[in-house]
Amino acid sequence: MAAAGEKGQQIDLNQLSVQQLTQVKKQFDDEVQHLSNSYQNLRVAQGKFRDCVTSIRDGVADSVKDKPLLVPLTSSLYVPGTLASTSHVLVDVGTGFFVEKSTSDATKFYQEKIQELEKNIKDLENVVNGKANNLRVVEEILRQKMLAQQQGQVEGQAG
Amino acid sequence: MAQQKQLQALSDEYQGFQTEMSSLVTARQKLESQQQENKSVQKEFSTLADDANIYKLVGPVLLKQDTTEAKSTVDGRLEYIGGEIKRIEVSIKEIQEKSEGKRTEIMQIQGAMQQSGTTA
Repeated sequence: MAAAGEKGQQIDLNQLSVQQLTQVKKQFDDEVQHLSNSYQNLRVAQGKFRDCVTSIRDGVADSVKDKPLLVPLTSSLYVPGTLASTSHVLVDVGTGFFVEKSTSDATKFYQEKIQELEKNIKDLENVVNGKANNLRVVEEILRQKMLAQQQGQVEGQAG
Repeated sequence: MAQQKQLQALSDEYQGFQTEMSSLVTARQKLESQQQENKSVQKEFSTLADDANIYKLVGPVLLKQDTTEAKSTVDGRLEYIGGEIKRIEVSIKEIQEKSEGKRTEIMQIQGAMQQSGTTA
């Protein structure tokens, strides 16, 4: 199915002029660029959720219950504090809403987010690969056309 | 010469439509991402117990909010966003039709100019 689609596309591409091909290539370039950026962003977001899980595990456990900690008021000013609760945390669920959750629920929440992103990342990966393949095909045809054109010119000059 | 002027005017209008179009598309994208975020919040709220503590970020502070109130806020937002997206879709369609019309006009004039050019 995919092969048939690609073949049909290839025939179509061969009929395009160099100028048109350059335009197509530019469009694909932009798309691939945009999708790769999204991919990066998703990875970053996933990393942030992972950090949250780690923070809950290491920072809000019973083992650190009575340990003093320094709370940043600004990036250069800290005040000492203690953890009010080792069992509950406030989770940002988006659009400015925070929900009080137990640490295990919060961890579960973040794990789900990570998995959801993983799925999105996988889907995106497939799309990016597909686009990159298309881009390669276009580049290849473009090169052939350019070569043919150059040769035509040389022959024209010789004759 | 008159044709040249007309062509200029038409292509200016066409450009205007294109700019309008891209700003509409950006607006729709923004709405869609907001919709996405609100949907995930809605989903999260639906799994919460009725006595769950929900806080809303107002400026730099968190204010406690009633669960039902928070839920209805998100529902209301989703409704509004859905309406806005529909509205923008309609505008996009209108602009698309308009710019398509302008494009045919431009092509017609260009064609006429070419013909008068070859006959002259």
